[in-house]
Amino acid sequence: MAENLDNQNNNEQPKESDSNYWQSFKELYKDISFTEAKKLEFQKGVEDEFDVDKLPAVSRRKFLALVSASAALAAAGCSDYNGNGKIIPYNTKPEEITLGKPNYYASTYVDNGLDYGILIKTREGRPIKVDGNPDHPVSKGKTSAKAQSAILGLYDPERLQQPLRKTTSGNFMKSTWQHVDQEISKSLSNIGGKEISIISSKIISPTTLKVIQDFQQKYSGAKLYSYQIFNEEIKNSAWKKCYGSGLFPSIKWNEAKIILALESDFLGTDGNKVESSRMFAEGRNTSDLDNFNRLYSIEGNLSLTGLNADYRMRLRPDLQFEFVMSLVHEISKQGISVGVDPSILNQYNLYDFAQKNSLYGNVLQLLVGDLIKNKGAAIIYAGRSLPENVQVAVNLLNEALGNTKLYTQDTIELPNSSLSSTSDWENLVQSMNNGEIGAIINFDTNPVYHLPSDLGFVEAVKKVPLIVSLTESENESSELAHYVLPISHPFESWGDAQTRLGYYSMQQPVISPLFYTRQKEEVLLAWISGNYKENIYHDYLMNYWQSTIYPTLNEMLDFNRFWLGALQRGVVNTGNIPKSVGNFNKEVLVILNQNQSNISGYAVFLKEGYATGDGKYANNGWLQELPHPVTKVTWDNYASISVATAKQMNVEEKDIIEITLDDRKLKIPVVIQPGSADNTITIELGYGRSKCGVVGQGVGFNANVLMSKSSAFGPWIYTSASIRKTGDTYDIVSTMEHHPIDDPLVSGVVKERKIILEGTVSDYKKNPKFIQEQRSMDTATLYNRLDFPGVKWGMSIDLNKCTGCGECVISCNAENNIPVVGKDQVKVSREMQWMRIDRYYSGSAEDPKVSLEPMLCQQCDHAPCENVCPVAATNHSNDGLNQMVYNRCVGTRYCSNNCPYKVRRFNFFNFKDHFRDGYQESNLFDLVYNPEVTVRSRGVMEKCTFCIQRIMEAREDAIRDHKPLKGSDVVTACQEACGTSAINFGDMNDDKSEFYKFRNHELGYYVLENLNVRPNVTYLAKLRNTHSEEA
Amino acid sequence: MKKSLLDYILRVRLPITLFIIIASFTVTYFATRAERDNVGYSPVQPINFSHKLHAGEMKIDCQYCHTGVELSRHAMVPPPHTCMNCHSIAKKDSPEIKKLTAYYMEQKPIPWVRVHKVPDFVYFNHSVHVNMGIKCESCHGDVAQMDRIVQVHSFAMSACLNCHRNAKEKLPYLKNIKNGPENCYACHR
Repeated sequence: MAENLDNQNNNEQPKESDSNYWQSFKELYKDISFTEAKKLEFQKGVEDEFDVDKLPAVSRRKFLALVSASAALAAAGCSDYNGNGKIIPYNTKPEEITLGKPNYYASTYVDNGLDYGILIKTREGRPIKVDGNPDHPVSKGKTSAKAQSAILGLYDPERLQQPLRKTTSGNFMKSTWQHVDQEISKSLSNIGGKEISIISSKIISPTTLKVIQDFQQKYSGAKLYSYQIFNEEIKNSAWKKCYGSGLFPSIKWNEAKIILALESDFLGTDGNKVESSRMFAEGRNTSDLDNFNRLYSIEGNLSLTGLNADYRMRLRPDLQFEFVMSLVHEISKQGISVGVDPSILNQYNLYDFAQKNSLYGNVLQLLVGDLIKNKGAAIIYAGRSLPENVQVAVNLLNEALGNTKLYTQDTIELPNSSLSSTSDWENLVQSMNNGEIGAIINFDTNPVYHLPSDLGFVEAVKKVPLIVSLTESENESSELAHYVLPISHPFESWGDAQTRLGYYSMQQPVISPLFYTRQKEEVLLAWISGNYKENIYHDYLMNYWQSTIYPTLNEMLDFNRFWLGALQRGVVNTGNIPKSVGNFNKEVLVILNQNQSNISGYAVFLKEGYATGDGKYANNGWLQELPHPVTKVTWDNYASISVATAKQMNVEEKDIIEITLDDRKLKIPVVIQPGSADNTITIELGYGRSKCGVVGQGVGFNANVLMSKSSAFGPWIYTSASIRKTGDTYDIVSTMEHHPIDDPLVSGVVKERKIILEGTVSDYKKNPKFIQEQRSMDTATLYNRLDFPGVKWGMSIDLNKCTGCGECVISCNAENNIPVVGKDQVKVSREMQWMRIDRYYSGSAEDPKVSLEPMLCQQCDHAPCENVCPVAATNHSNDGLNQMVYNRCVGTRYCSNNCPYKVRRFNFFNFKDHFRDGYQESNLFDLVYNPEVTVRSRGVMEKCTFCIQRIMEAREDAIRDHKPLKGSDVVTACQEACGTSAINFGDMNDDKSEFYKFRNHELGYYVLENLNVRPNVTYLAKLRNTHSEEA
Repeated sequence: MKKSLLDYILRVRLPITLFIIIASFTVTYFATRAERDNVGYSPVQPINFSHKLHAGEMKIDCQYCHTGVELSRHAMVPPPHTCMNCHSIAKKDSPEIKKLTAYYMEQKPIPWVRVHKVPDFVYFNHSVHVNMGIKCESCHGDVAQMDRIVQVHSFAMSACLNCHRNAKEKLPYLKNIKNGPENCYACHR
């Protein structure tokens, strides 16, 4: 060790003395224009477009407005003065429906090869909200933002509404199912020994696989190809090499005391985020400090996981192998037998590596100590994007340290469902070129957009005589198809799924198909049997279950009762116990004896789009407008680079650069991301769709073009990229500096004004009152102290658990009818989301620490907004809520100006009409609205109501049951969606409730407490689990 | 002293004009109040259903048809299916029942004309009121005596608040009733 100490000394993580918090570079460097702008509630020029003189004389909008106004006037003149309209009851009311009360149905949402148990809330037969299914063993009542947003996709007016057929002139013509069924079945039967290629994403439904087998029986030339642009293949193949069989197991994150994440965003996009963030947060419980976990993250770009790390270091992704090997060496030097040939290990030295790549030697020393001290209770987790040799080395480390205790070997893959290999695809392309493929069926996939361009798929597919695309809406692949067949949304479909031992997840429709669509299995079944009938797949599914799965379950109930129960719960538990992890095969370690390929130039890291996934969600306005958890950018992807790299490239934010990898090129704007590794470019995929609905069309840049079928580091990491500055610029829109609550002219304002209070676990252990001691004393007030007898609503947000993922924002959008405003409006700070996650950096621009703070209306007792409203449109209720009455509001915006937390949102437009030229005016979108919440119009201020509709519903139920209303009866939308249970809600006057403990917690503080507005949202200060001797 | 024209205008014409304006406003205000509040509104319905017959003479409970009233914010107008519980047998030959049967058989809903209405931005809740023991007639009048439904009370916000503020006085049959909430969020959200 001694020889390393010198190295460490000039390479130490700076001590934490810098209490300067900042949100953007402009703020960090105290840019004058920014500080000026920040003082204004609304940006300069925000009202320009309302200048009547500047509008064109008769715009389309104006013309329509005039026409409709005159029509309305005429109608009003003629109508019955007292007319109240009609009441149209059902003819025969479905038994399960009580008008005005929701019904919930359990189902399953499949995304990226994973199943999420969901509970769909329907009102009068239409789905309006998605939450997690509490009975689902993995989801446990929580779900992902994408599953929640799927509800918007259901009502997307741009979904295909009937089958399309390409005419000889190359245009699509509307057709009928009968017609296309006939033509396609005929072509398939006359395929003449040629192959029928079905291109699918990973199939996790046993019944769907059976349908494909049946199809292969009927059409003997049929072959299944599957891909998943983001997948766990590398992890799984490394696992197979190490342990002989099985897939990479699931991890008991909640039992891990030390977590080392290597280029892994396990809290964001890597693996089953719902499960891992829930379990991760279970290990960050302030009432159980001894089991508080410590997260180390070593990554190239600041990810959601990096935001939450206790220690974070920057490392370009192609150097991870060298790092892991150095770590293996260091650990073996500490007396842990790893079984690797010393001659291999001696090539690596952790502290030399740290020195060379500016990692912190002192942190690494702590890391090694922690890993050894917590043998069997630590986990080293390599991101799914890292190459196989890294995965093997990480498996080895976990094995050597006894961390295999934290594995649960319950992950399974259905037989014959594995993804196709690169050589399979190459063979397919070759066969297509040779004319050996008779038909291509895109089974709800978009290979033209997804597959690497150097595969030559696009050119080859044009030679195939019959291409059929099964898709929900038109995409890049359906453009080349001869038939485009509309398939049903998951909420209109039946299904099942199995990804783990121990349970099946069931999927049932909650609404009849809105259009002339069939679910994708039905389409194949119709071609197999030759005639389509309604419920063909439902019957098939039931038969398959009755004949194949039900007998294996040893159920006491007869099948029909079992089946209804299974659908009601959404899961079928099979009781299989996880398999034991096998023996580590030491022979695999030869893979570690390889010299890393050349590492030069810039590293390019391609990541799953946080909002858009693989591009599937590009047409979803809620997801597109969800601020990225790290950069807060909406409606775009970008190349994320470090400060030093930007200097070296001589580029500034928003400059467009051209990235070249061999002969593949991409032009993309730059975002300078604090905490990025130098010489690393990180780009999210899933953008730049060229054929998509009007929401996602042309949003962002298609970085799939950088992917290659062969890369030394796997499909997502590339080295030796070169960069050229193009000189063009592009507007990237970020909500980062919108609605700021601090004043950058005052140094250290975030800390001074108590916007953020935080500490370390050891601070808290030493002095449990350390947060309370920093809080302001109760100061004098001019207001009368109000009394709130009875129920008084309050919220607490545990910043130890909040990961900043943004699920709550999407849930709030869905619950409270919040409109999508579009990029042009976000640019001028007009986003309408009632919740935002404020993200503050502290420390240096190269290696910042991050603090997160969800911000929503604080429902202050002495609300500053209330006394400036000239019309009393905002005032106080006797249960402690700051009420906002839309019908009184005249739109002065004084309240917003006076709100210290900047949580009020003004409808500058009727956004429903304004976004994408009235796209949301479609009648279909009316179906997504929550009928319990007003849809606001232009000129009205709005803000978080603490989900008043849910409070009123709980009150209604309490009165019905003649019971007093309790705080725990109400669950707000954000609380329900919060995957880590960071948000708590309840009655602060009820001293027996769980919430009372949070409200009066030792770590509790109010934001901007010295304003003495007496907020009703308590924040529990974040504790970083750093080493006390270090701080 | 000679009276000037201005004097005349100020002393005579102005007071008279003002008086006429105020008087006509006041008279109109009070005379049309019921009309503006929809009191007395009694439209012709697609089927000549009589509450007097069903609720009055036959004493069928309100909730036999208005099933949502204890469960939800909507009282619910019954679907023809409910009517057919009896009318598939009872009085099949009456012309009104024939109309009803036709709607039912053709699977069409009956387009009842709405009588009582609060604006869209009001989230009035039937179940809360009914479960507190408030009788239907306190708002809807004595329906059991109406051949054709007519609005009896105003449904304006002032009428709601009048009762919420003076519950004991307005609902003397409820001994333990407390005043209703007066905060905005009670009805508007």
